[in-house]
Amino acid sequence: MNKVFKALADPTRRRVLELLRQRPMTAGELSEHFAVSKPTMSAHFAVLREADLIDAHKQGTTITYRLKLSVLEEALLGFSQAFGIGAASPARDAPQPEKETP
Amino acid sequence: MIAKRLTWAIALAVFILTSALAVRHAENAGMLSDEAGRRTMQVLIGLMLAGYANLMPKQLGRSRGSAIAEARVQAALRVGGWSLTLAGLTFAGLWAFAPLAFADTASVAVVAAAMLVTAGYALRAFTPCRPAGGAAANR
Repeated sequence: MNKVFKALADPTRRRVLELLRQRPMTAGELSEHFAVSKPTMSAHFAVLREADLIDAHKQGTTITYRLKLSVLEEALLGFSQAFGIGAASPARDAPQPEKETP
Repeated sequence: MIAKRLTWAIALAVFILTSALAVRHAENAGMLSDEAGRRTMQVLIGLMLAGYANLMPKQLGRSRGSAIAEARVQAALRVGGWSLTLAGLTFAGLWAFAPLAFADTASVAVVAAAMLVTAGYALRAFTPCRPAGGAAANR
């Protein structure tokens, strides 16, 4: 449950979940909605996958994400959105992507 | 994954059976009235329904080729999950607090309504996916 709270604490990740509520989307389609780098978005996706809030399906080089929220998790998402939890510091809380060593 | 689900399902079944035996034992020992025993078991059943329905939107299954079909499956699972979860909680609440005669009828009505909503939404969502013309198209 800690992973779920951590995932829902960030407004960028909550926005990702809201977008996926409409329909499944590829990583590229989701990234277009945010003014952050692709490695940062990948890190957000990793946090959401670790919390089992999204499902990833890879076809070739394309990864398609599907929403995977239980009723309780969706209620928590709505609660977090309503009270703006974490709204003040989305950039600071963004997980740092792992740096590749040559 | 399957082993984990099976373990949880067996654990829940054992819990329900043990609870039923414990309630029966308490009734026989005079610690619980018949009404209290019945209410206890029905509340547990309602909570179990809510617990299972809570996880319904997470049962996505295999990825489908069509984005529209995927979106419809997702929506149907969400609607079903929410309606059955709320029905389970209402079922438990009615058996916990409402007069017995009222709880007996209302609890069934609530769950039946939730099942109708679930099935109705799924039918409405997937009816447009049927091939146009039905059998005639295959001639």
